[in-house]
Amino acid sequence: MRLTPGPARDIDLDTVDLFDLDLYGTGDPHPVWDVMRAKAPLHHQALPDGRDFWSVTRYEDVCRVLGDHREFTSERGTVPTHLGQDDVAAGVLLTSTDPPRHTEVRRPLGSKLTARAVKSWEDSIRRSVTRFLEPALDGEVFDLAEKALLLPAIVTGPLLGIPEKDWAELVHLTAMVTAPSDPHFQLGSEAATLAISHHELVGYVSEWVKDRRDSGAEDDSLLHHLMSVRPGGAPLSDQEIALDGYSILLGANVTTPHTVSGTVQALIEWPEQFRKAQADPTLIPNLVEEGLRWTSAACNFMRYAATDVPVAGGVIPAGAAVVAWIGSANRDSAQFAAPHTFDITRPNAKRQVAFGFGPHFCIGAPLARLTLRVLFEELLHRFDSLDLAGEPEHLRSYFIAGMTHLPITAQKRLTP
Amino acid sequence: MESAPQVVHPRRGGQDETGQRHDAPSGGPVPLVDEIVALWGELLNCPEIGAEDDFFALGGNSLTGIKIIERVALDYGVRLSVRDFYLAQTPARVAGLIKQGRSGT
Repeated sequence: MRLTPGPARDIDLDTVDLFDLDLYGTGDPHPVWDVMRAKAPLHHQALPDGRDFWSVTRYEDVCRVLGDHREFTSERGTVPTHLGQDDVAAGVLLTSTDPPRHTEVRRPLGSKLTARAVKSWEDSIRRSVTRFLEPALDGEVFDLAEKALLLPAIVTGPLLGIPEKDWAELVHLTAMVTAPSDPHFQLGSEAATLAISHHELVGYVSEWVKDRRDSGAEDDSLLHHLMSVRPGGAPLSDQEIALDGYSILLGANVTTPHTVSGTVQALIEWPEQFRKAQADPTLIPNLVEEGLRWTSAACNFMRYAATDVPVAGGVIPAGAAVVAWIGSANRDSAQFAAPHTFDITRPNAKRQVAFGFGPHFCIGAPLARLTLRVLFEELLHRFDSLDLAGEPEHLRSYFIAGMTHLPITAQKRLTP
Repeated sequence: MESAPQVVHPRRGGQDETGQRHDAPSGGPVPLVDEIVALWGELLNCPEIGAEDDFFALGGNSLTGIKIIERVALDYGVRLSVRDFYLAQTPARVAGLIKQGRSGT
C-alpha cells in the first residue's frame, strides 16, 4: 500500500471493500481510512461469502478494542485472514489467549526480551547490521525490501537459537503466512499456502525441541527458554512451545523488514528529514518511532466482542468480529498533527501503536526498537544520500503493510 | 523441511500394492480411498464426507493436517510430504499419494 496517500477521492463507505487485496497491492487505503475516521468510525462490512466484520479506525477506539480483553476477546483468533474460523490454537497460542493465563505465560517469556535484557545484544546486532548494509555501498542498485526480509533472521537467528542454514526457508515460510495471496509466496490456494506454512513452521519448532530433548543440550537461546519456563508452576506443553515458538518467529520476521523499507522510502521522499537526522544523530530514536508510526507494518489485529459493546457511536453485537486498524490509528489527526507528513521531530511520535496496545503489545518491541535504532545509526553514518532506482512494489496483503521490492542506490559518505 | 513421501514401518499390515486391505471386516476389501474418507471423517469430526470433498471446505487446518499425516505414517507406513498433502486437498488424491509412496514412485 502507498504510505504517502494520493489525493482525496470520493469514497462510498457502503460499498468499500477493506479486504480487496488490490487496495493494498497497488492501491491507496489511507484516503479510505481518512473518510472512515471522519464519517463512520464504526464501520460494518459484509463479504460476498456471508462473513462480516466491524472496523474501528480512530486512535482511541483502536486502543480500546486492543486494550480491553473483557469486552474484546483474543480467544477466537486475532488475524483477519482467519475471519469466521474459530482459532484452533485458542488458549494455547499466547497471542490467542486472554488474561489471566496470558499474563502468567507472558511474564516469564518477556523477561528475556526487556530493553535491559536486549541491550547486551547491541554489539552483535551492530555487526550484523553493518554486514547487511555493506553491499548497498558499492553504488549498484540494492533492492532493500527484498534484502531486508532476511534482516530479522540475521539479527534474531542467534538469539532464537536457529542455525543460519535454516533462515532463508523460515523467512519464506513466515512471508507465506502473512501474504498467502501474494504471487511471490502463494502455493496452490490461499488456504493451502496458509496450512503449508503453519504446518512447516510449527513442525520446525517441534523438531528443534525434540532434538534438544534428545541431546540434553542447554543454551541461552529464546527457544530453549520456552522449554524451561514454568508459568503457574508447570512447564509449557509441547504444543504451547511449538505454537509460541512459531509466533515468535513470525513476529520477528514479518514486520521489521517492512518498517525498514517504509522508513527508508520516507527518508528518500523527504530528503530534508534525512539531512536533519544525519546532522543530529540524537534524533534517531525519534526517527525510529516516526518510522514505526508511518509504516505500521502490522496493519490491523482482530478481536471478537464478548457482549454487545457500544463503541464510536454504535454497538458491536456480541460475538461479532472487529478489526482494529492500526495503520489508520497512527494517522489519526486527533492524535498526530498533520498525520500524513513524515516528521522525525514529531513530539509525540512515541505514542504510535505500531506494536499494538494493551496486554498483547508486541513482546519483541524492545528488540525491534534496538535493531531499528542501530540500523539507522549505521545507515546515516555510512550513506551520504539515498535515491529510488525503480518503482516500489507493495505486498498484496490486508494484514501486513509492506513492500516486496524497493530498489535504491546509495552514495557513500566520504567524511563520516 | 520438504521431502518426497517416505516409506516408514506401518503399524498394521495386510495391504497390497493396489491399496486394498485383505483383512477388512464384512467380507470384501475396503478400498484405500474409503479408509482415507473414514480417517478424515474421524479427525475432521465430520461424518458425511465424500472422496472428492475439499479439505479446507470441510474445515481442515494445519493442526488437523498434522494429525492426518501422523496417522497415515502409522497406518500405511508412508510419510506424506506436507506440501503434497495440502495441495492434494481431497481424500481421493491423498489415497493416490499413499499408493505412490508405497510403490516407491
